[in-house]
Amino acid sequence: MSQHYSEADLLETYYTQPGQSMPVMMHLAGCAECAARYERLDHKIRGLASCHSARTPDAFWAVQRSAILRRVGAAANHSPFARVTRMAAAAVLALALSATLVWPLVNEEAPVARTEAASEITEPADPWESEELSDLQPIVEWETWVDNGGRS
Amino acid sequence: MSQTNDRRSDQELIDNTLAGDANAFAVIVDRHQRKVFRVTLAIVRDESEADGITQDTFVQAYMSLGRFEGRAELQTWLTRIAINRSRDFLRRRRFLSLLTLHTDEDGTTETMLEPVDERPDAERQLLSAQLRVAIRRAERQLSPQQKVIFRLRHYENLSLEDIAAHLGLQSGTVRAHLFRAVHKIRRELAGWRSARRMKHEPALQ
Repeated sequence: MSQHYSEADLLETYYTQPGQSMPVMMHLAGCAECAARYERLDHKIRGLASCHSARTPDAFWAVQRSAILRRVGAAANHSPFARVTRMAAAAVLALALSATLVWPLVNEEAPVARTEAASEITEPADPWESEELSDLQPIVEWETWVDNGGRS
Repeated sequence: MSQTNDRRSDQELIDNTLAGDANAFAVIVDRHQRKVFRVTLAIVRDESEADGITQDTFVQAYMSLGRFEGRAELQTWLTRIAINRSRDFLRRRRFLSLLTLHTDEDGTTETMLEPVDERPDAERQLLSAQLRVAIRRAERQLSPQQKVIFRLRHYENLSLEDIAAHLGLQSGTVRAHLFRAVHKIRRELAGWRSARRMKHEPALQ
């Protein structure tokens, strides 16, 4: 005698093996009573599960959509990419401003600076007056004297 | 131009959005918000929370749109984000309910989802109510992961393969989780049945 399935038994098939459990499906194919029970269960679960989204008014979707777009706009302004872009733009602006303001000043001071720098590195006209040879001054003078004496 | 009549493909809309066309993303939202909301509502069982999570889903999608590689459909990608956010929400709510010793984490949200049965048969209504209560009670005993899986199967009627794909699981794992959920529902139904028998046949006890 074939065993009938209760609704509770059919729950497992409904949820975990819909249309795949061979023993159950074969039984349902040959047993009108269990097939009707399975159909009732299916109808019941679908009824329980039916969402109310179909009843949701269009206004709900419109409000939700506008909230999303508002948040997206705000998020876009605060995104890391936007922040980096803003920082980069600020840096470029600062650079451009500083270049505009500071360049003329630098341009005016530059010759003086260059002159000073040039004078610092300029070699004295007489090599004997250089710092490196200052300790040798007496000798230099002596040699000069010798030379002068020699000549005189 | 009406957003619902926009004939651009999802990929075109993504490209247009990335190119700075704000209206393109509005079309994406209009096209997919119902499905995302329905999936979210199926999991969190709270309209207000589902609304918030739907919004979060689209904001996250917008911020990550540049990384969308188009390997999956946009709808699938959005659904996955929505499911992950809903799962996080369930975990968070469970944690909070543990902290506050709140036993009914679903609160009073069940009233908004009444069964739809065109035939007002008293016996059928009773059985539907029993099943609904059994499902609700069983759900409370499920882990967030099991709950997500069961609710996607029950409320959204997603196939095991779809659920597995959305959650990145093997379909065998999904089946195992569902089996546990069904086992708990059966236990709840058995409890109802024995209580009813005791009520109607006290002489047999």
